[in-house]
Amino acid sequence: MNNSEVGPTTVKEPDVDSAVDTDRPWIVLVWNDPINLMSYVTLVLQKLFGYSLEKATALMLDVHHKGRAVVSNGTRERAELDVYRLHEHGLWATMQREDA
Amino acid sequence: MARKHKGPIRPLGKGEYSLHLELSDKEALIGLLDQLRDNLMNGSTDEKLKRLFPTAYHQDPKHDEEYQRLMRDDLLASRLQSLGTATSVLSRKSVDDTTVLTAQELDEFARSINNLRLVIGTVLDIDESDIDVDLDEDDPDDQRLVLYGYLGWLLDWAVTAQLDEYS
Repeated sequence: MNNSEVGPTTVKEPDVDSAVDTDRPWIVLVWNDPINLMSYVTLVLQKLFGYSLEKATALMLDVHHKGRAVVSNGTRERAELDVYRLHEHGLWATMQREDA
Repeated sequence: MARKHKGPIRPLGKGEYSLHLELSDKEALIGLLDQLRDNLMNGSTDEKLKRLFPTAYHQDPKHDEEYQRLMRDDLLASRLQSLGTATSVLSRKSVDDTTVLTAQELDEFARSINNLRLVIGTVLDIDESDIDVDLDEDDPDDQRLVLYGYLGWLLDWAVTAQLDEYS
């Protein structure tokens, strides 16, 4: 290769999503489903997030009565990890931007 | 607060638990776990397995497709690992039908029992009104409902056994 030749320049576009993620946190939701036991959901929330029994129970009851509850928030990467861990335990979890 | 434990799974202290099930129950559970593992390893996209691979981005199909592409194999490997542990625990030589588990083994056992419930519950199309029903023992769906109830009973004891550790 001749170093004096000028080759095509690759311009790296800014990662718009990543830039937005910093300013707009993501939230992780657990949704109500008729299969998972209420006691199991409470235990999983305690185990994965270190919540007290009282907080985990309150979140579980929100899931049960209101259809969903926000169980964690943070960066997109953090939210994806939390969703993955909730899925591992069989809970129906999704994520979205906080103000979506 | 210490709780009384009279069920099949009890805390022994120092991060260990006992599992007491009759041999016939263990064999039946191993059969179910084997079926689920076969279905997962065959790459089945059967509708009954959909609850084992939930959507992550419910508002964004494009991001969800990317998420599934990156994470589905990890989730599958995790499920197979748990199923293997549960089968190993149930196959372990026991004294008086009682097996000793570590906390990690109980966690994976509970996840596997829950996986079975998610699949059977999906097949039965369980909803909140299915708590009290009159059973017909000749109806295959009713037999599944009995099994679904048994798995719920077992999972609830697995939860109860762990409660003191997290409370």
